[in-house]
Amino acid sequence: MSQFEAPQNQDRQAQKPPRSIAEWVTFSIASLILAGIVGLVCSLWVGKRHHQPPELSVTRSAETRQAAGQFYIPFQVINSGGGTAESVQVIAELTIDGEVAESGEQQVDFLSGGETQDGAFIFTRDPQQGELIIRVASYKLP
Amino acid sequence: MATTRRQRKSIWMSELDDLVRGACGGFLFGIPLLYTMEVWWIGSFVTPPIMLVAIVSTFIVIFLLNRTAGFRKTKSIKASDALMDTIETIALGLICTAIVLLLLREITPDVPLDEALGKVLFESVPFALGVALANQFLSGSREGTDNRSDHTAQPQDDQLNATLADIGATLIGSTIIAFNISPTDEIPMLAAAISAPWLLAMIAASLLISYGIVFEANFAKQPRRLQQQGIFQRPLSETVMSYLVALIAAAFMLWFFQQLSFDDPWTMWLRYTLILGLPAAVGGAAGRLAV
Repeated sequence: MSQFEAPQNQDRQAQKPPRSIAEWVTFSIASLILAGIVGLVCSLWVGKRHHQPPELSVTRSAETRQAAGQFYIPFQVINSGGGTAESVQVIAELTIDGEVAESGEQQVDFLSGGETQDGAFIFTRDPQQGELIIRVASYKLP
Repeated sequence: MATTRRQRKSIWMSELDDLVRGACGGFLFGIPLLYTMEVWWIGSFVTPPIMLVAIVSTFIVIFLLNRTAGFRKTKSIKASDALMDTIETIALGLICTAIVLLLLREITPDVPLDEALGKVLFESVPFALGVALANQFLSGSREGTDNRSDHTAQPQDDQLNATLADIGATLIGSTIIAFNISPTDEIPMLAAAISAPWLLAMIAASLLISYGIVFEANFAKQPRRLQQQGIFQRPLSETVMSYLVALIAAAFMLWFFQQLSFDDPWTMWLRYTLILGLPAAVGGAAGRLAV
């Protein structure tokens, strides 16, 4: 260690024991960042949000889009509760003349509290002709 | 007056030097885990008490490491110094991790605060370890190559050989780091979410990190030669060259592991290669340090 310490001494004189201003500045910035992160974590802990169970809802987020003979139905699934939900299952069923003509299913890996995810269902029949139901069917806790 | 100003400048330069060295060590150690989706998932559902446990345990481990290693070159290993360095180490890890996660679009304005915090915290653990080990990683080359700086004038032949050796070292380094990442599903996953401006940012970050590592290496390797040739000239061209080598290595590995085939559109090749290019560039720069 000591044999190659020597050549660096010229440009490192300033770094000798009492810490330089530069080191104090970075140290104080670093302390602020760390304190900020710890503070944020604590405020999350104290905040009630993560004690609540997930609350999931799904909405049709935009107009149905038609392309190449298929109907694209965009949806948005929202977790308005607190905790994270895993494997959120979204189901869409298109009922025409009293029976299910087509159905689709989508899974969202993780949905934290307050998070939204977008997706789309694709049908070959026009959803206008029947009744379309989009709902969240299940989730599991991580 | 002039001397005080120079001294003040050198204070800031040496501090910056220390921080860059720390960040480089962090990138070397932390980047494979930054490309691991399981760690992002942990961040998604971890609860605040566990986050605090993560901070505290990281703090203890880093503190112990800083007593022996650390990212600074000073040998003062008093407990109080190690304590201050530990705080800096963790903060450096947090910042760099947050930047990379932002680049990878794992943290976006849409991501809720607790999820973002969890991701950054868990990804920053290996990163902070890397920062604390930076001196061990990056000073190895210092030992051997410091004497080389005495020979200021090198024959033309040697320079060609040195360039070839650099390319070889870049290739080896980028292969070692990117090998861990190229067969996994993260690359297609990240590629699906990233847009063109962020790809550009990715290129910039790859060059910057790779430059940081090269600059560090040169700072120790050939300080006198650098001063003669102009500080920015050589490292810059070397950085660009090694980035291109790293990209080629990344593209080859993606093809090798069947993530890409020749039927795929060129946009896919570009996305995948640029995303794997960041770890490959980091590995390449590390490879040049090792040689």
